[in-house]
Amino acid sequence: MNQTVTLAHGSGGKQTSRLIEKIFKKHFDNPYLTADDAAVLPVVHGKLAMSTDSFIVSPAFFNGGNIGKLAVCGTVNDLACMGAKPLYMTCGFVIEEGFSIQDLETVVCAMADTAREVGIQIVAGDTKVAGKGQVDGIFINTTGVGQIPEGKNLSGANARNGDVILVTGDVGRHGCTILLERDDYGIDADVKSDCAPLWEEVKAVQEADVHVIRDATRGGVGTVLYEIAHQSNLGVRLFYEDVPVQGAVKGVCGLLGLEPLYLACEGTMVMIVSPEDAQSVLHALKQCSHGQNAAIIGEMTDAYPQRVVMKTEIGAETILPEPGNELLPRIC
Amino acid sequence: MCVGISAKVLKVNQGTALVDASGAKREISSLFLEDLEPGDYVMVHAGTAIAKIDGNDIEETDQLMESLR
Amino acid sequence: MKQALEIVQGYQGPTLRIMEVCGTHTHEIFRKGIRKVLPETIELISGPGCPVCVTPVDFIDEAILLATEHGCTICTFGDLVRVPGTRQSLASMRAQGADVRIVYSPMDALAYAKENPEKQVVFLSVGFETTIPACCLTVWQAKQEKVDNYSLLTANKTMPQAYRAMKDACELFLYPGHVHAITGTKICEQMKEEGISGVVAGFTTKELITALAVAVTRFQQGKPFFENCYPRIVKPEGNPAAVHLIHQVMEPCDALWRGIGEMKDSGMRLRSEYAAWDARLKYNLPKVEGKPNPVCRCGQVLQGQCKPTDCPVFGRGCTPEHPIGACMVSDEGACSAFYLYGGAL
Repeated sequence: MNQTVTLAHGSGGKQTSRLIEKIFKKHFDNPYLTADDAAVLPVVHGKLAMSTDSFIVSPAFFNGGNIGKLAVCGTVNDLACMGAKPLYMTCGFVIEEGFSIQDLETVVCAMADTAREVGIQIVAGDTKVAGKGQVDGIFINTTGVGQIPEGKNLSGANARNGDVILVTGDVGRHGCTILLERDDYGIDADVKSDCAPLWEEVKAVQEADVHVIRDATRGGVGTVLYEIAHQSNLGVRLFYEDVPVQGAVKGVCGLLGLEPLYLACEGTMVMIVSPEDAQSVLHALKQCSHGQNAAIIGEMTDAYPQRVVMKTEIGAETILPEPGNELLPRIC
Repeated sequence: MCVGISAKVLKVNQGTALVDASGAKREISSLFLEDLEPGDYVMVHAGTAIAKIDGNDIEETDQLMESLR
Repeated sequence: MKQALEIVQGYQGPTLRIMEVCGTHTHEIFRKGIRKVLPETIELISGPGCPVCVTPVDFIDEAILLATEHGCTICTFGDLVRVPGTRQSLASMRAQGADVRIVYSPMDALAYAKENPEKQVVFLSVGFETTIPACCLTVWQAKQEKVDNYSLLTANKTMPQAYRAMKDACELFLYPGHVHAITGTKICEQMKEEGISGVVAGFTTKELITALAVAVTRFQQGKPFFENCYPRIVKPEGNPAAVHLIHQVMEPCDALWRGIGEMKDSGMRLRSEYAAWDARLKYNLPKVEGKPNPVCRCGQVLQGQCKPTDCPVFGRGCTPEHPIGACMVSDEGACSAFYLYGGAL
């Protein structure tokens, strides 16, 4: 087999079959993944959640994961945010001509491992090869479906006055990792992406009175809090000092004048829980694989509709500005 | 203006120093400060050490308040 | 901090207007809600110490000209990227293919020039005394190492003239800590001699409240005063090595402050020995006359003559996403701070 992906691999001919056989089928193997035009799946009773997402992260390999792991986590977490048990997913690859086969296998391996950890089956896939320069290395789209338990109804609109806000882990690590990997600012720090599938965490709190679960990806926890505030027409009272942020993330943000709450997470969710269940949810999360750094970071309030407000050390209440722009370092 | 962060000097080279701001490390210019040594704390702005930091903010503000009595 | 806060909150004298000159002070004051705990008699006014806010429209137009007409790679602090020029911002030019790179330090711009000898790299040299030494250092090194594909487009400004221009807008100044880490406190002592009071302040909430407590106490004693409330960083003599390099590489010039106008000797430009690294001379840039949007009142905001909310376009047409004036662009701009932290609270 060639060492790099060529246009022939995307032609639909023999080379394509060989790539599928030696890479995709080898790692994704499951009874639903066949050579036919579509996967044939049993009908699920009750409600389905369905989600799609495209991944174009640069660089494709980073400390703590790669684009493949990210593509599975992204879709699994989107499903989990609806309380849905992730069942099946598809993946579409757009690969730049010249991309290393070995790197492709690493990406596919990471997808398979992550899918296995969660118990989601990769049932269909597609590969296209684009000419040099038409894409940046590799782009992946994933679409997934999951089964929502009966009676489960999670939505940003369900947040209630007095509900407690938790995060399942420390914030801003993925965004910070990517920023460091791009090495635009000559900063070196020991920060690893939080990229992780969080179905275990959601499952662990399935019985509790949880009203909202939201994945804090692009725009970070700050953006998610505003989305929930808008959807529920309530305000957020943020306990800023209680938001878990790794020291090195704080250091990087300090140098560049950035706010960790606006940096992307890929393995951290925001959960809004009835006050009675807050402690038990926190306890349950802390027992999970990716939940050790879970913390209570605030509460919903009807005092400031559609705003995120924080109490500062001098007892004043100020607004966490609503993120809206490209994050740019502030220096001078 | 002038976002500054305090950082600990880890290593001093010719005209540059490696500093650590709570875990974020960066090579900066140390040309404006003489006799920097590892362990010193400096104020960093736009990749230069602009001042050596003597003492800490708590003592400083306490002393200022003392002076008002 | 409780004691300091009590002193500030207990102030009962005539209305006391304090100008926080520095944009980072403005940012912290809003972020920590410091205005909200002050008595009505103490008013904080945001001054002209946000380099992005006082950089004239012409400068952005010049930078765009360098990128488009001369094919230069523009290296800049992130702060400047979204500032509107007459027609475009650097961000919109970048979207159209201009080579605009965000750097953390001017040194990174020089390093990029050295690594890419086929490119012509221009660093947008904005900022006050704190930032000027780093800008000067790159040109000084470029000359030593004979790097000829690097230059500066300068719009650096210095504080003393701004203090004097603003002195009637307030009773006392909260001087910018990091500027005086470079320049020292001689100018503050001079201001005191001229009857203008002030304190140098640090940047944490505790440092700011303590500096305000000192300022309020001394103000009530009636005489002009100066107090350095950030002595662990700010020495009376400042940073002599940095000041020396500034004067070796740059010289004072008259400068245009966006919204305020031209102030004599309030800017810095490269000395003739460094003409080869002066982008204006190197590329023979024509005199550019930028046209700020006429309805924008940034100028008066910067001079403490009106509040952002008094401007007719504030929040209606001028927002952080679509800024009309520079004060809405920078996180340190008074308009942006009012917009983001203001509202219903």
